[in-house]
Order: sequence, then C-alpha cells, then structure tokens
Amino acid sequence: MAEGVLSPGVNLEAFSQAIAAIQALRSSVTRVFDCLKDGMRNKETLEGREKGFVAAFQESLHSVSRDLGELERLSNLVGKPSENHPLHNSGLLSLDPVQDKTPLYSQLLQAYKWSNKLQYHAGLASGLLNQQSLKRSANQMGVSAKRRPKAQPTTLVLPPQYVDDVISRIDRMFPEMSIQLSRPNGTSAMLLVTLGKVLKVIVVMRSLFIDRTIVKGYNENVHTEDGKLDIWSKSNYQVFQKVTDHATTALLHYQLPQMPDVVVRSFMTWLRSYIKLFQAPCQRCGKFLQDGLPPTWRDFRTLEAFHDTCRQ
Amino acid sequence: MGVTCVAQVPVAEGKSVQQTVELLTRKLELLGAEKQGTFCVDCETYHTAASTIGSQGQTGKLMYVMHNSEYPLSCFALFENGPCLIADANFDILMVKLKGFFQNAKANKIESRGTRYQYCDFLVKVGTVTMGPSARGISVEVEYGPCVIANDCWNLLMEFMQSFMGSHAPGVPSVFGTKHDSVYGPADTMVQYMELFNKIRKQQQVPVAGIR
Repeated sequence: MAEGVLSPGVNLEAFSQAIAAIQALRSSVTRVFDCLKDGMRNKETLEGREKGFVAAFQESLHSVSRDLGELERLSNLVGKPSENHPLHNSGLLSLDPVQDKTPLYSQLLQAYKWSNKLQYHAGLASGLLNQQSLKRSANQMGVSAKRRPKAQPTTLVLPPQYVDDVISRIDRMFPEMSIQLSRPNGTSAMLLVTLGKVLKVIVVMRSLFIDRTIVKGYNENVHTEDGKLDIWSKSNYQVFQKVTDHATTALLHYQLPQMPDVVVRSFMTWLRSYIKLFQAPCQRCGKFLQDGLPPTWRDFRTLEAFHDTCRQ
Repeated sequence: MGVTCVAQVPVAEGKSVQQTVELLTRKLELLGAEKQGTFCVDCETYHTAASTIGSQGQTGKLMYVMHNSEYPLSCFALFENGPCLIADANFDILMVKLKGFFQNAKANKIESRGTRYQYCDFLVKVGTVTMGPSARGISVEVEYGPCVIANDCWNLLMEFMQSFMGSHAPGVPSVFGTKHDSVYGPADTMVQYMELFNKIRKQQQVPVAGIR
C-alpha cells in the first residue's frame, strides 16, 4: 500500500543512500565541532599549533561540504513526497484500509479540532485574566500576542486626544505641578513633570499606562545634547535615585486596568507629596536625615513622609 | 549647585588651628564622608581711590574680588551689602587697568584652603583661613546638592551640620533671609564667604589661642 502512494518518482535505493549520506554529514559536522572544542593542541611553537589547528579545521570543513553536496545530489533522486494533501503526511493515514481496527485518522481529526478549540478558549481566558494582572510589562500577553494581534487590551488603544485631555486635566488640578506633554516617538506620550522647585520627573507613557519614570533634581539637565528628553540616564543625586525607585514601586502599586486615568491621577497625587521632600521630617523617627538621605518614601494612602527603613 | 551654608568653627581650647581642623575632618571621616581633593576660596580687597570720592564727601566703599576653586573660570566681585558681579576669570586683569578707581589693599588678602569631602549628596569643605602668613580661623562650608531653595532644606542642613560640628553649628545665614523662594546661586555662597572673612579680619587683633 505504502509503495502505491510513494511510488511516483520514489526510488527506495536512493532513499537508503540518502539516509546514509545524512549520517555521514552529521558525523562530519560533529567532527568540525570537536575540532573547535579541542582547540589548538600542544605543539612546541605557537605557529605550529596554529598551523595544525587551521589545517585540521579546513579538512573537516571540506568533508562537511563534500557530504552536503552528496546529500543534495541524492535528494534530487529521491523526489518529493506528495504535498497536495491538506493534512500533509498525516493525510496518508486516511488511506489505511483497515479503518475499523485502527481508527487513527478519525481520532486525529477529532484531536485537531479539540486542540483548535482549546487554543481559542485559552486565548480568550488569558485576555480576561490579563486585565486583572499585576504584571504591567509589555510581554504580559505572552506568545499569543504575536499570533492574535487583536487581543490587545482596549486600554492600550485609546486615542491620543483622550490622553491629552486626561493629562491637561491633571495639570490644571495641581497648581504647583506643571506637566509638559510631548510625543517624540509616535503615539506614545512623554511627560516632563516639574514639581515646584524641588524635582523634575520624566514619565514615559504607553497610551494611559505609565511605563517608566525617572526623577531628577530641579537643577539637573533632563535633555540630551540634541534637545530630546533623556529617558535613560539617572540622577546624579542619591536622593533622587531613591525617589526614582519609589516612584517605580508606586507604578506597580496604583493599578486599575479598567480606569487608567484614575491610575495616572493617583500617581500624580502621590508624586505631588514630594513637594516637601526636603522639608518634611520622618513621621516615625522625627529626624530629617538617615544615612545622609531625607525621608524619601511617601505612604501610598496617607502620603506621609518616611525614611526608606522607617516605613514598615 | 545646591544650597550652601558657610560657617566659622572656633578653634578648640588648648588646640592649634591645624589640630582643630584634624578633629573636624576625623569626625567627618567617621561619619562616612569621602575625601575628594582640595579647595580654595580667596578674597582681595579694593579701596575706591581717593580721586573718585572727595567732592561728595563719601567714605570710600570697599570692593571684594573673590575666586572659588569650585568655579575655576569665574571671578566674583562684591560690594558689602551690594550687588555681586560674576565675571570671567580675566576680570583680575581688568582690575589692574582700573587702578585709578580701585586700589588693591594687598595686605588684606585672605583665603581659605582645605579639603573637600563628599557624603551622600552633601559636599563639605573644611578650610583653614589664612591672612598673610598666619592662620586666623577655620571655615566650614556645607553644600546640599539636590535642593535649590535655601529655606526648604535649612532644617535638613542644620541636622547634618550638628552631626559633626555639635554645638558649633551656625544659625541661619543672613543671605537665606533675603532669598525667599528664589533659586540659590554661587553668588550667595560668595557673599557668605565675604561675611566670614570680614568677621575674621575684625578678630585679627585677638591672639589665635584666645579665640573660642
């Protein structure tokens, strides 16, 4: 039976030769890597070692290309298996005459349908679950994001105009805070928040999600040499490096995927409490300095100032 | 450039200026401060020349021309209670040309030299103030880099200064009072040094060992 299917242009002799050629190719490739792995063998002189290594390497590469040529030649003789069946080679199973004893083909079709359905449902479930997730990174959709581009959460496809509105409303809400919005790279907004004369914050947004924040001093440069916002370099001052860490923590804390504008507003309200960064003593120990740093932590609920180690 | 406070530390009883400086720097090192080279602030005094006063019967104003190693390309010219001019370093040469109006009182040249320390975001400079050949006193400059509003971080600065100066920590410098919410600048530091130098000049009759 099998012969009947494979018969057009199949040469069993060529087949066995081709298999042998594959084996030969594999062993010669293994030799190449062995040669590389062993490196230069001990010889008296450096030149001798190098020469020996190069010669051995060349020889094994030659044998690889020889074996590959042979395999290619044989593969032409073997001919192509029929590709016109919709299920490729597994379609050949349908040709089995003893259906009743080995119902492989119908089982295969069932399994295929079942796995298709499973994948579809799993995709829906992951979409729903991701809305509740605490993870905010871009790959939260996992591999499925690549296969199903439509599965992006709707909060990521808000129109830029809406984002502008939300930001300008927040800007008006806090008089001591000024927010400059720019879109240097496509639709994603970047904010430069200046808080009084205390600090500047660069906020990188993706739609209304805050992706990254960097806090710098009021007198520090926030632009690169070509005048763009510098979103990579950190502050020169330890206190602002610490505040940057805390702001990143706050990004993960304020989470409400259905209402991203509330998240941005809560984050900005929290950030505004840094206006008294240098003026507020720690609410626990009552001091200004601990290890040379002022109270850099602000409680997420009460916005009270604490040193990093005093906050528990 | 952050907010800076310049203060004088009295020489400890029974100790020399050098020994008191060592005492201070040891305290700083114990605190965890790291040595970062040296610094120098100098100040020359100029009298307004007799030819320009006279008619109105004004008394001659004193002008101070100062340099700070933290700003090596600049030169600061100040009047007492007056404006502060920040110029390029070759302002000194201009002053030579203006001999007819301003005369250098060479004997009054005073300077503070010492070591620069870094502790977290604080910059501390402990210097010996010398006038001519003799050491007259000790200056301590504390700068807090991240903050630009003097009154915002005064309490914080104070707490830090108390940690190594103890009871000798100074009161609020007078320049802080006039700053309100404006940004602190290098000129404000130079005014503080000028005031410190003037204070030390007036003390010059008192023998060093007697300063408390």
